Amino acid sequence: MSAVPHDVAHGHDHHDDHHHGPTGLMRWITATNHKDIGTMYLIFSFIMFLSGGVMALTLRAELFQPGLQVVQPEFFNQLTTMHGLVMVFGAIMPAFVGFANWMLPLMVGAPDMAFARMNNWSFWLLPPAAILLIGSFFVPGGATAAGWTLYAPLSVQMGMGMDMAIFAIHIMGASSIMGAINIVVTILNMRAPGMTLMKMPLFCWTWLITAYLLIAVMPVLAGAVTMVLTDRHFGTTFFNAAGGGDPVLYQHVFWFFGHPEVYIMILPAFGIVSQIIPTFARKPLFGYASMVYATASIAILSFVVWAHHMFTTGMPAKTQIFFMYATMLIAVPTGVKVFNWIATMWRGSMTFETPMLFSVGFIFVFTLGGFTGLMLSIAPVDIQYQDTYFVVAHFHYVLVAGSLFALFAGTYYWLPKWTGYMYDEKLGKRHFWLSMIFFNVTFFPMHFLGLAGMQRRVPDYNPMFADFNELATVGAFGFGLTQLLFAYVIIKCIRGGEKATAQVWEGAEGLEWTVPSPAPHHTFEVPPVFEAKGHHH
Amino acid sequence: MMTNKQRNGFIATVLAVLWSFAGIRKGRDYQLDAEQLNPKHVIIAGIIGGILFVFTILAVVNIVVSQ
Repeated sequence: MSAVPHDVAHGHDHHDDHHHGPTGLMRWITATNHKDIGTMYLIFSFIMFLSGGVMALTLRAELFQPGLQVVQPEFFNQLTTMHGLVMVFGAIMPAFVGFANWMLPLMVGAPDMAFARMNNWSFWLLPPAAILLIGSFFVPGGATAAGWTLYAPLSVQMGMGMDMAIFAIHIMGASSIMGAINIVVTILNMRAPGMTLMKMPLFCWTWLITAYLLIAVMPVLAGAVTMVLTDRHFGTTFFNAAGGGDPVLYQHVFWFFGHPEVYIMILPAFGIVSQIIPTFARKPLFGYASMVYATASIAILSFVVWAHHMFTTGMPAKTQIFFMYATMLIAVPTGVKVFNWIATMWRGSMTFETPMLFSVGFIFVFTLGGFTGLMLSIAPVDIQYQDTYFVVAHFHYVLVAGSLFALFAGTYYWLPKWTGYMYDEKLGKRHFWLSMIFFNVTFFPMHFLGLAGMQRRVPDYNPMFADFNELATVGAFGFGLTQLLFAYVIIKCIRGGEKATAQVWEGAEGLEWTVPSPAPHHTFEVPPVFEAKGHHH
Repeated sequence: MMTNKQRNGFIATVLAVLWSFAGIRKGRDYQLDAEQLNPKHVIIAGIIGGILFVFTILAVVNIVVSQ
């Protein structure tokens, strides 16, 4: 794909390269510009990432040795719960929405998101939700300790921290739905002339499908937690067997949200990696059409596999086998994607700048997480794995090495476009290698711990698990400290450095590279002319 | 002629949906899909395909369990 350079790349009018609204704090509070809102999303998610990270490190400090040393078991349970909620709803999801805000209008040649004021509202709902979540640590009884899945009946019994988490989820859900509507309308209605759906960059495709998933399942989660809320305070008994309800109902409703949620957190990552690999392999993406079809396929299948999270909850054998087969079939479109990325690199003239390192690292390590997912999908075997560290290892391989590494890759890839400066390549590479090594030191031993029978969500454990836990804790602190290096690289890049060109990367293609770096405050006020060179012939 | 054209469109839509379940599509066929198919039809066919997919797995499960 290539595009006739937009006029701003050359002698563009000076009035659109900076912003004219309120200045100072009001610029951000009243922001309707997609770039400003994207920046706020990214900063917010990074703060939440550090908060969730501190919780994780406290957990790992406690687990460094068997016995209780650092925190009380009650607080430990609050930390496991909040680490999950904060990372899923506060860090990963808003980070991808931040990328969507910054990049989708630039990629489709639109002047802004479709609903600029709703965009402001979507973002500004998040800080109150975060305050509710984090603030719940300080109320009587502390934060919710029911696990991030908030299973009933435990979630029906907690203190007011649970109510705060429920309201936080309501608010974040509303924010996600509005963000998703904005993304769908922007992509469907605001593409530059000549850019048909089938010529869109793959990141737009994966986000379009993700947005539909969000609209479909966020209300389901809202329903689940609302039923918990009414069970807690308004005398209903949805999840109380004594009143004719069923606690297992909660699990079904939750996971009907929860499994598509897994794909909400990984499909945009697939999109980012699919942008980066062709750039640094200097070849068009192999199997563009397959990528789109595979994404759609994964999205549809994600609705019929939810009960694989509940194999030990009690289900007829037939149902278990159904969910086992359906789950295993997801490996087919996912395998197609991995194949296409590798085929894209095949005989390409590759270079390994930091975005590419993270993308190739993503393929290696995410695929490992995919394989352990396949192992977990086997119902008879899952009885052994359920609720062990094997599961913890699995989902950190897909969420950290998958979603997070793709977010790092995307950050380095587009940072010069955002700031106008090149980041420090040497430090970026160092960030990659340290992250990659410490990630594996942290999470690889957890496979062994899980297979040997160590349960998840426990502050104390059998001394036989001590060695691998020590190793995991050392890795976790290494990984956490490495992320400070990431923060340093970004701050350094914002402050200055080598000037970035509009093109930034030699092999990059797409409309976002036709505007200057840093991208002016207003871009594509006149739709660019898009000419497809055919990135999928 | 009219019915013939409609039928071709129907078959083409079904084929596109079936390929999507495997996640593979030839570039040329995809271009044809993009030009000729009505997205609304594809979405409806996709939903019906999803339901059929569920019943197919259920049928397989029934066969496996009965043995």
